[in-house]
Amino acid sequence: MITSILFSSCKKESTEIFQDTPGKVDVKFDAVFGNQDFALNTDLTTGTKTFKFNKFRYWVSNVVLVKTNGEEYNVPKSYYLLEETSAVAVQDGDYTYPANKRELVELSNIPAGEYKAIKFGIGVESKYNDNLSLQIGELSQLNGMTNVSWMWHTSYIFTAIGGTANENAIAKTIKIETGLNTNYRTVTLNFPQNLSIGSTKSTAIDIKADVAKVLDGIDVMATPIVGAAQASTMTALANNYATKVFSVSLVK
Amino acid sequence: MVNAKIIVLIAVALVLSVSSCKKEETDIIDQQVNESYQPNAPSNLPAFIDDVDNPLTKEGVKLGRMLFYDKRLSGNNQLSCASCHRQDLAFTDGLALNNIGLSGATLHRSAPALINMAWAKNGLFWDGGSTNLESQAFGPLTSPDEMFQNLFELEAELKAIPMYVKQFNLAFKDGIKSANVAKALAQFQRTLISGNSVYDKYKRKENGAQLTTVELQGMQLVEQKCKSCHSGELFTDNSYHNNGIDSHFNDDLEGTYQGRFRVTFNPFDLGKFKTPSLRNIMLTAPYMHDGRFANIDEVLTHYSSGVKASSTVDQLLYQNNGQLGIPLSSLEREAIKAFLNRLTDQEFITNKNISNPHL
Repeated sequence: MITSILFSSCKKESTEIFQDTPGKVDVKFDAVFGNQDFALNTDLTTGTKTFKFNKFRYWVSNVVLVKTNGEEYNVPKSYYLLEETSAVAVQDGDYTYPANKRELVELSNIPAGEYKAIKFGIGVESKYNDNLSLQIGELSQLNGMTNVSWMWHTSYIFTAIGGTANENAIAKTIKIETGLNTNYRTVTLNFPQNLSIGSTKSTAIDIKADVAKVLDGIDVMATPIVGAAQASTMTALANNYATKVFSVSLVK
Repeated sequence: MVNAKIIVLIAVALVLSVSSCKKEETDIIDQQVNESYQPNAPSNLPAFIDDVDNPLTKEGVKLGRMLFYDKRLSGNNQLSCASCHRQDLAFTDGLALNNIGLSGATLHRSAPALINMAWAKNGLFWDGGSTNLESQAFGPLTSPDEMFQNLFELEAELKAIPMYVKQFNLAFKDGIKSANVAKALAQFQRTLISGNSVYDKYKRKENGAQLTTVELQGMQLVEQKCKSCHSGELFTDNSYHNNGIDSHFNDDLEGTYQGRFRVTFNPFDLGKFKTPSLRNIMLTAPYMHDGRFANIDEVLTHYSSGVKASSTVDQLLYQNNGQLGIPLSSLEREAIKAFLNRLTDQEFITNKNISNPHL
């Protein structure tokens, strides 16, 4: 009688006791530059160009884990700001967002099972991009990744790369950003082998984010500043993020 | 003895089961405290449709009104929203381009009137650069040329004011946050409803309200010549048009003259600006996105003989035997002005429910 009172009041939770219990998975977004580790304020060369970066920031959103049977688990409220950045002057220098390196996203409460792939958005989908007051996950106006004048559309900056580029003794300051609803992209990455998630062991997904691939095909010396006015370049960048930049190096 | 033990166990079990589901109950209590708010929309206006993500509540609207009129919302505590959106001028400032922002720079755009914002669901700002009032608020709040408020400081500042701590907690579950400042301001602005002009009372046949013969002529002329864009009872289609004030759209002044193109980057949108409502139009001079026309006569002269051709100029402006312009005789102009005067809503500009609550 006691058990029946308990279970009927909160039935949803109690039924899960008889299945495998949910587990955690650490998703690491390791920034690289081709074969080198990505680092700020360090010369990083690809072809004839040498870069010195002071920021690499991007929103990862709507994370989905795909089971081997094709079933999908949508991680609730999954909006994360991944970054490796020097201090950022926000609101024209009204305040400073401190230097930060963040590459780890901890997903908890993932239903136990065999998984084969991960999907996530780069940027913020239109519902939240169009309404800065709807805060969910890590979305915020306070971290210098929102915009009111950069493209005259009050919305989020989806991705941002800053620093300098050098080629043939010519130096350019680069500010390469993406945003706008049309440039929201979803990335799908298959795992090299299936990953079993559950409460009995710790699991991890290691993802490489290759900054050199972000700039693949972009003439940064001709177009060092990319904003909404450089619409075709911005779309090319968004497509690079969708298809080239991210790869899974390891699941364990 | 055994029975007593069982009773105790049942009691413990009941307490546990109740406590595990407590969250839902407090949610219900929150909603009961903060009752929803139904604005009084006059019957000739379209039905009021609330915002799904930020529905009006009594306490939210009250908070929004307090914030709208509070100078502490600006970085130097000298400017409130109402500094540029005055109730006596239908919530605009009477200036072409003001320079009262923190940087002292002259703005590139004229402060728009705030009239019937609840129905303005097709973008805010002259070029539609914000999708809703909630996002729009962050523009003037943070711009160095306007209120230049550091959003971290704003939260700290508000948390030090007991009146705001109390009112934010009444209005929003998560209390003082910059996102809730935007939400409250949006709620208040959606209650700025104008629909009680002489024209409205005539339309609703209230208290024997009448329009004179000349005013009725003016009404007919507006219907024939202006209402394609200034349409319906809102007197705006809330859309974007090139009304021929310029013929070249270079990117001077940060693309100010490019209009909606600046947001969409669609060449079809070059020089297009949002249609302002004709309601209270006699209070909202000077006119156009940059306030270039000082009075309504200049506006009527523009439409009759000053419209400039370009690839995006609105086809509706070819009203002169296939030529650009809307020919108007001097009698027609006087009739139109007489009618426009009847769109002034005295109750709107004196309504104590939307005036400064800090006075």
